[in-house]
Amino acid sequence: MNDTSPSDGLRVGVVGLGRLGIAHAARLGHVPGARLVAIADVHGGARASARGMGLAVPAFRDVRRMLARAEPEAVVVCVPEAQRPAVARAAIEAGRAVLIEHPMAPTLDQARQLVRQAAERGARLAVAHPLAFDPVFAQAAAFVATGALGRLTNASASMFLSRVFAPRAARHARASGGVVAQVASDLLLVLERMFGRPQQVRATWTRLYGPHEDELHGTLHVEHRGAPLAVGFDASWSAPGYLRAATVIELHGERGSLLASDDALEFELKDAAGGMPSGYTRVRAPGLPHVATFDLGGDAPWLEDAAFVAWAAGGAEPPHAADAALDVERVVDALYRSARNGGAAVAVGEP
Amino acid sequence: MRRAAREVPRLLVSARSLSGVTRAPRERMLEITARFHEPESLAVALSKALDAGAAGILANPSRLMRAALSELGRVVPMHAVLPDIPQVDLADLGPGVDGLLERRRKRVGSGVRWRMRLSRLRRLPGYAAGDMAARLAVLMEVEARALPRRGTASVVIASAITDLALATGNRGFFERAARYMRRRFHAAAGFETANLGVMLARLREWEGAGVDFVVGGVNPGGLGMKPDLATTLRELGSPPVPVIATELTAGGLCTLEEGVAFARQHGAHGLAPDLAEMDDVARELRAMGAVAVPQPATAGV
Repeated sequence: MNDTSPSDGLRVGVVGLGRLGIAHAARLGHVPGARLVAIADVHGGARASARGMGLAVPAFRDVRRMLARAEPEAVVVCVPEAQRPAVARAAIEAGRAVLIEHPMAPTLDQARQLVRQAAERGARLAVAHPLAFDPVFAQAAAFVATGALGRLTNASASMFLSRVFAPRAARHARASGGVVAQVASDLLLVLERMFGRPQQVRATWTRLYGPHEDELHGTLHVEHRGAPLAVGFDASWSAPGYLRAATVIELHGERGSLLASDDALEFELKDAAGGMPSGYTRVRAPGLPHVATFDLGGDAPWLEDAAFVAWAAGGAEPPHAADAALDVERVVDALYRSARNGGAAVAVGEP
Repeated sequence: MRRAAREVPRLLVSARSLSGVTRAPRERMLEITARFHEPESLAVALSKALDAGAAGILANPSRLMRAALSELGRVVPMHAVLPDIPQVDLADLGPGVDGLLERRRKRVGSGVRWRMRLSRLRRLPGYAAGDMAARLAVLMEVEARALPRRGTASVVIASAITDLALATGNRGFFERAARYMRRRFHAAAGFETANLGVMLARLREWEGAGVDFVVGGVNPGGLGMKPDLATTLRELGSPPVPVIATELTAGGLCTLEEGVAFARQHGAHGLAPDLAEMDDVARELRAMGAVAVPQPATAGV
């Protein structure tokens, strides 16, 4: 059935064969330096489906058995949110590198424990946040880091999509949250790469259809180049008209402005800086380098898997490594605490 | 068994943007969605396209599309992309067939559910073993409801399904799915992909795998042309099956004229410019149709 020829490379196992696990498993066959060696799911039907899709590697019911028998060097954890910490812990205890879907745990406390455990065991732990690898937003973060915009005076970010009836799992009362925890935390990681962890946040939310927020409007108070900056943050999955998710980051500084969207990067600079000329420049998203060699859900998920595999094999730390991802979970937690308290200012960090 | 030959079209008008597939700037997508919100306006654009030389339509057989076709009052060759589901929902359901099958099963009436059950029984060993082609066949029993009664020239499997089978190197899926589609719909079997270079290389290895044609991006920006532009162009030079080129403007990176010239120069058999890529459908399609084309390729049906 599967005639992909095995090759040398990092041995990777995928646990949890829902939509995300299948996508990771299929993509890994096209990531240089990676070799899918095992898959695991407690449901026999999911294992049979995976085989029927062409994933012709040993399939296990139990993650510990998979670790012992197939000996993967890295594990991708895609089980439902409530089970993620336990599965990741098993892999970390075995000293394997772990890429875990976000949110990495139902509570901030569990996430902290997981990150601590990985650090103690010396295991590499990363959390899936593909937007950080999107060519537009990765380049935007790199440009901000050059300081070419000068001191920022105004910043806002938003993520909108129309999927309010779709995310059944997120409707579940046991999920850790709604649009921010499930989707827009990706954007928070990008903002964190630009500005570092916020000191304080404020937020209000709207619940339309389920136990978790469908919209959240907030402000992240960060320190940028020694000065305070309030970053507007809006997320909604109940906005009509978004056939694709739409993410926008808009920054205005003393020396220019930057607009990053799924369509393009737009610069308006007083002087040439950060590798861009003075005046207005628009770089369309398809015009940026797209180095992913397989598209299954876009370039960003492939780049994310590739960065994890490279790190697990001894390469450079990727942007979605555990410490940065834990900071994101801290911000999500603070936004939720603020929203629960009617928009009160909440410090980000250890509660 | 000898199969009748059917010509793979040279020029189609694509409405994949209405399902959020064709890449275009967001403002353009909103404009197109608003412009073709009513079936009458879509029917006018399709009518102009057909009069200007388009041999058919590449689109999901959505409710809007079916209403537009019935407005036209004539049989239009439809190259129907299935499953009929917007891109945003496909992204939620993930690649492959299972998520979609589950969703459809919950939302169909008892008649279709009965047909799905029959289809499943007919393929029980494969279905139970998780065979993706067997599951696709069951899914297609639901999707078939959306196909026009007359005029289905081909059925094209959407990239979310194609690319999963491609990623896992599942040759059997392509062979069985293509055979099933020809038998079930009496139409050619096409496969849409976002990885055109990978797909063509695989099909060459697999001696075509029974696939009649491939729909995929061909443009100077390399959009939809994984693993990379150079490899894809090399494969396009002597493709194992005819290629119908989409994403001609690379999401707005080049003009349609440039994209069309590029696709033709590099060996695309057919073109499927999207409504989102054209300002004046009649004029632009007429210009494309006026260019001389080489010998037609055929698909066995």
